[in-house]
Amino acid sequence: MIPISARYDCDFAIVGGGIGGLMAGIAAKDAGAERVIIFEKCHPLRSGSGAMGNDHFRCWLEEEHGPLEDLVRQTLASPIGQVRDPLLLRQSLEKSFDIVKMWDEWGIEMRPTGKYEFMGHAFPGKPRPTLKYNGTKQKKVLTDQAKKRGVEILNHHPVLELFKQEGRIAGLLALDMTKEEPSFVLVRSKTVLLSTGHTSRLYITGPTPAYMFNTSHCPNNAGGQALGWRIGAKLVNMEIPYRHAGPKFFARSGKGTWIGVYRYPDGRPIGPFATKPDIYYGDITGDVWNTAFSDVLRDGSGPAYQDCSGATPEQLAFQRKAFFSEGLSAMVNYMDDKKLDPAENAFEFMPYEPTLHGRGIEINERAETSVPGLFAAGDMVGNGGAGIHPAAYFGMIGGQNAAADARNLDFLPLEENEQVQERMAFYSSFAERKVGPDWREANFALQQIMSDYAPAGPERVRTENILNAGIAYLEQMRQEMFETAIAPNSHTLMRLAEVIDLSDCGLAIMHAAKARQESRAYHRRADFRFTNPLLAEKQLNVFLENGEVKTEYRNKWK
Amino acid sequence: MPPVIDPALCKKCGRCADICNSHIFYFNRDAREVPVVRYPEECWHCDCCVLECPAKAITLRIPLPFTMLHVPSNTLKPRS
Repeated sequence: MIPISARYDCDFAIVGGGIGGLMAGIAAKDAGAERVIIFEKCHPLRSGSGAMGNDHFRCWLEEEHGPLEDLVRQTLASPIGQVRDPLLLRQSLEKSFDIVKMWDEWGIEMRPTGKYEFMGHAFPGKPRPTLKYNGTKQKKVLTDQAKKRGVEILNHHPVLELFKQEGRIAGLLALDMTKEEPSFVLVRSKTVLLSTGHTSRLYITGPTPAYMFNTSHCPNNAGGQALGWRIGAKLVNMEIPYRHAGPKFFARSGKGTWIGVYRYPDGRPIGPFATKPDIYYGDITGDVWNTAFSDVLRDGSGPAYQDCSGATPEQLAFQRKAFFSEGLSAMVNYMDDKKLDPAENAFEFMPYEPTLHGRGIEINERAETSVPGLFAAGDMVGNGGAGIHPAAYFGMIGGQNAAADARNLDFLPLEENEQVQERMAFYSSFAERKVGPDWREANFALQQIMSDYAPAGPERVRTENILNAGIAYLEQMRQEMFETAIAPNSHTLMRLAEVIDLSDCGLAIMHAAKARQESRAYHRRADFRFTNPLLAEKQLNVFLENGEVKTEYRNKWK
Repeated sequence: MPPVIDPALCKKCGRCADICNSHIFYFNRDAREVPVVRYPEECWHCDCCVLECPAKAITLRIPLPFTMLHVPSNTLKPRS
């Protein structure tokens, strides 16, 4: 058995030191929580999809956008709004500018042009919903703020399992991977917040199938939704695929940072929204039609290119600076090295493989999940929106509410929990076994099942028969993985635990996709080809109850 | 495979191993040798090791399949 190297008791344990987790720690301390510990898989300065920076912060400012309800309606009508609960969107937007001012005060550059300016991701002539900022220092500033308040951060401590007792959260099991030999860390915590980021590596990588880590967002965020799933937390929108788009074949997010026009080979714009580069609006075609870049290849009218050649030198200089703000320095260095000047070259774009981005754990207006005492924030949340602003807001709200709840709670006995011993033995078995498939084999096995049996539209379809087959194949693959996989050191055990989490997410996706008997967005059912208007105002939950997968619709929270 | 460490510049501090979000480096703190890029295929090419290295000893080599496909902008026009 892998030994336990440390035990901790805390008021509030946070899983993941990204934007949501750090804001939760800061807010919990400000709200009076005593011991707050962040369990971080890597290092909070450079972890998660905000690791290197971001440059758009969606927020509401009345003098810019008019009444709050106008921006709420505009967001709900967009592709990113369709999976959200209006109640949570309204609530987070209402306080969004308070966070902007707070970050500005802390030293994150929220006014890179000298004033608050809204740019990008915008329809011509409509209010621009995102504040342009420079996020290169955001993780350092938030980490410093957390540490200043006494938040403890355990680096290289991914969380393997959560535990529930007496109907509420009781604690967690983490892996200490600071050494080659793995050890366990057992934590009793009155409250817990999950903020593990969005999930990559479920599907065969779109740009380069042989390179699993060539992903638009951080590939080390993999399957954290499963930590809640296994203790019965409700998931939502798992069946609605999200597909990001960007340069081909160097997968990078940040398409809104480019200021060019998407064009056909004959120079015509592919969308109706932009005809020349514009730093205030960009070309929103890529946001509303993510699969344009593969659609035009399938119908023969492509490829489609991001063309910045019409930009002025000042606009191109602005774009270059913004690339760094967005954390794209590796891409800029590559372009410099290859002498790829955007003034003279047009870059082909492509849609990437599906990810769980703003799909996953369901939270309420307290940022609490359906498991009492368990909170969630960030891109792993399924009904609150993805991106910087919801991560920051729901992290903050979750931290405040967790701190308040913890004051009235006692620790629950964890050592007597049978699941603790069972899960430690389960993870130890991989370290004890000498021969068998490693995490890579398991991850590829999962990806090929997901890509064939729970595929995303528009080019691929799902049916009940295909999904039933996929569920059966995935269960077989999981069983073999559980019984035969090996993990000879702490690094490979961390990776294998990710694949176990990913496979739980895969099951949740397939069961939810089976239950949604209609086509909606990139969830395309060949046996239910229509979009059912009666489901437009509903959310589909998928969850575990006494070991059985359940699904149920509920009305959207207004 | 990325990243590439220049052993002549590396100060053997282990910062890259501590900071990498993919855990691709192996660094033996007791031996204090140049870190080994142990899991190169797990690199996200995020650039954090390059930016965090106090000796500027690390560069990224972007793999050939990650080529950014491009054409000269002036070719985007109707063909005769």
